Amino acid sequence: MAGTQTGILPDELQLATAKHVKYIQSLDTRKDEYDYWLTEHLRLNGLYWGLTALYLLRHPDALPRAETIDFVLSCQHENGGFGAAPGHDAHMLYTVSAVQLLALVDAFDDLENRGKGKGKAQVAKFIADLQDRETGTFAGDEWGEEDTRFLYGALNALSLLGMTHLVDVDKAVEHIAACANFDGGYGVSPGAESHSGQIFTCVAALTIAGRKDLIDVDKLAGWLSERQLPNGGLNGRPEKDEDVCYSWWVLSSLDMIGRTHWINREKLIGFILRCQDTQDGGLSDRPGNMVDVWHTLFGLTGLSLLGYPGLDAIDPVYCLPRSTTERVLGKST
Amino acid sequence: MDNHGIARVARTLRTDEQRRQDVEKINKYRQLDESIRAQASSGAYDPALFQLTSRLLRLNPEYYTIWNVRRRCLISGLLSKPSAGSWPSKASPSSSLSDTTKPSCDESSSSSSAAIPPDPSFPTTGKSGTTAELTGSDHQQPPSESDVASDINMLQSELAFTMPMLLEHPKCYWIWKYRNWILEQAILRLPAQAARKIWEAELALDSMMLTKDTRNFHAWGYRRRLVARLESPALLGKSMVEDEFDYTTMKIEGNLSNFSAWHSRSRLLLRLLDERGLDDKARAAFLDEELEYIQEGLNVGPDDQSLWYYHRYLVLQIVGRATGQSSIAPALAVEERVAYLTKEIQFINELLEDYGDIKWICKALLEYTLALQELSQGSDSDGQQDDPRTWLAKLRKLDPMQAGRWDDVERKLASHSTQAEQ
Repeated sequence: MAGTQTGILPDELQLATAKHVKYIQSLDTRKDEYDYWLTEHLRLNGLYWGLTALYLLRHPDALPRAETIDFVLSCQHENGGFGAAPGHDAHMLYTVSAVQLLALVDAFDDLENRGKGKGKAQVAKFIADLQDRETGTFAGDEWGEEDTRFLYGALNALSLLGMTHLVDVDKAVEHIAACANFDGGYGVSPGAESHSGQIFTCVAALTIAGRKDLIDVDKLAGWLSERQLPNGGLNGRPEKDEDVCYSWWVLSSLDMIGRTHWINREKLIGFILRCQDTQDGGLSDRPGNMVDVWHTLFGLTGLSLLGYPGLDAIDPVYCLPRSTTERVLGKST
Repeated sequence: MDNHGIARVARTLRTDEQRRQDVEKINKYRQLDESIRAQASSGAYDPALFQLTSRLLRLNPEYYTIWNVRRRCLISGLLSKPSAGSWPSKASPSSSLSDTTKPSCDESSSSSSAAIPPDPSFPTTGKSGTTAELTGSDHQQPPSESDVASDINMLQSELAFTMPMLLEHPKCYWIWKYRNWILEQAILRLPAQAARKIWEAELALDSMMLTKDTRNFHAWGYRRRLVARLESPALLGKSMVEDEFDYTTMKIEGNLSNFSAWHSRSRLLLRLLDERGLDDKARAAFLDEELEYIQEGLNVGPDDQSLWYYHRYLVLQIVGRATGQSSIAPALAVEERVAYLTKEIQFINELLEDYGDIKWICKALLEYTLALQELSQGSDSDGQQDDPRTWLAKLRKLDPMQAGRWDDVERKLASHSTQAEQ
């Protein structure tokens, strides 16, 4: 397995670290572009995607830590939940990003001292209140819509906060088991088609709950590894096109069940590197397309799981640097 | 921030004129955003605020907070107060209500179909909704007929308002979520028959979305929710499993590769059989039909993953598990199962003669040969069987990208045969 062939890769197939760092740094300076304002509902996620990418690229200080903390806290509501930006409504998705960001920059103390209400406990309560106690799953906010994405987010954030005891983990596990399909995969809710993104959320939630024994490992690994297409990229479902973000959803799932060696590593590395914009930095869904910070992160996390040189290790369960989860959880996951 | 499938263009410098236009657009957008925030924080969720949300959402349907503001406007007066639940059954359901609701339903559904423009980028649809946006703030309780009529109008106009957005952004979670919420409001506020009409129309819309994109993950999930609700007592429903099963057949005939439809079929099948109340013989006959159906598909598309996954699903039904889980034909004896599986393996071997270089065929042969070995252990029908290692060797050639997987399989086979020798 040795031998990333980095030594003999042509220039455009090297990781353009400096360009990517610059690209991420530039994202918050584009206030004179209409798109900057149209994407405000993703600001907190965007900061999480960008900063995590910077940590992987070993430039954790490329965005100022104090401003990061101030911005995160400015998105919080009295009920403990976070919105995408100041004045945006609280939702599970942004609350999870907030907790991940605070974990990343080691700022739980700031949350405790300067956060709304009871600090960490307030955030945990917001999340715990979104559990459907009957089915075990979670809603995204007060307006309903349940999805295994929210269940995973809840377990992710609560375990980082050390407060999973506030929810019924066994019920949540039961719900995930009900989402399993004959092909070994998982869907967004019971009955829904298997989807790589949803598989990641379910496998990671089971990992956090300590219940990987429920996974049909060989069947799931077979399905996941069959996502790889001849060009090296991975798709999210059978008979669909490849996309860089599945380098994360598929590969992290394979990693959690110990089967990353079931796909072709060199080919996937080549595909991800070809998605780089070597001129202006960033990665896109497919070679030659427009870059964005989401695909930039998930291309880099994919490379990190593949052991690509020059990148810090990512935790496949939390999508945070391993150094972060080891510090916060006191153990490796 | 989340670009899919958009070709990369160089970030060229904008001309002064372009920059000026951008700044103007930004200012207008931010002013609109500011006025919504200011008014929402004052707590005045009135028709004026409601109209501002229409303007902003047309510019940016991903702005989830604005959808929430819109919901608050609706429940703060634009819709009647929800009834206490017993309302639909109490109100004499027959003539008077359906008489009053029918015309407005028809009217609104025609306006909502008018809201499906041939050009999905058409930005001003939803205008039909704006007249209703101002009505309905006055109501008494318990719900009167006029409340019902105005709620129907309001809910229909909301569905019409979001229609062009859904066509333009068929993967936007927030639009789907909002429509689902509107439909739930119909259950809360309308007599069951009137609510049912709205839900039925939505199922038709979902079918249309699945015609435009046969794999749309949102639309398939939404469909399952719609059907579950349409089957429920809240909407005076009954089982739709036969219809939905036929729907998967129709989608499959349209495109054999539609795994979403195959998946859906796999989830409907067992319920279908239970509801038909078939005996063991009839269930076995059903299994035969399904096997024939997928074999026809495989003869046409032997390299189509979707078909192989469904075939694998049927083979799981054949192999059965002693866990007491239901399956298509639970009463099959082991010998019968062996016979079924042997027949499938034979069919695939025939495929192999025509398509010797397709990896999916060898994968199936490897997997099924192993399954047959396991199955035959408990029976006396243990005849001549292929050596799974033959298929493994072929797979190494045909599917070298999964070399690591084949290494693992080989190790497993080796450890099995050592155990067997001991």
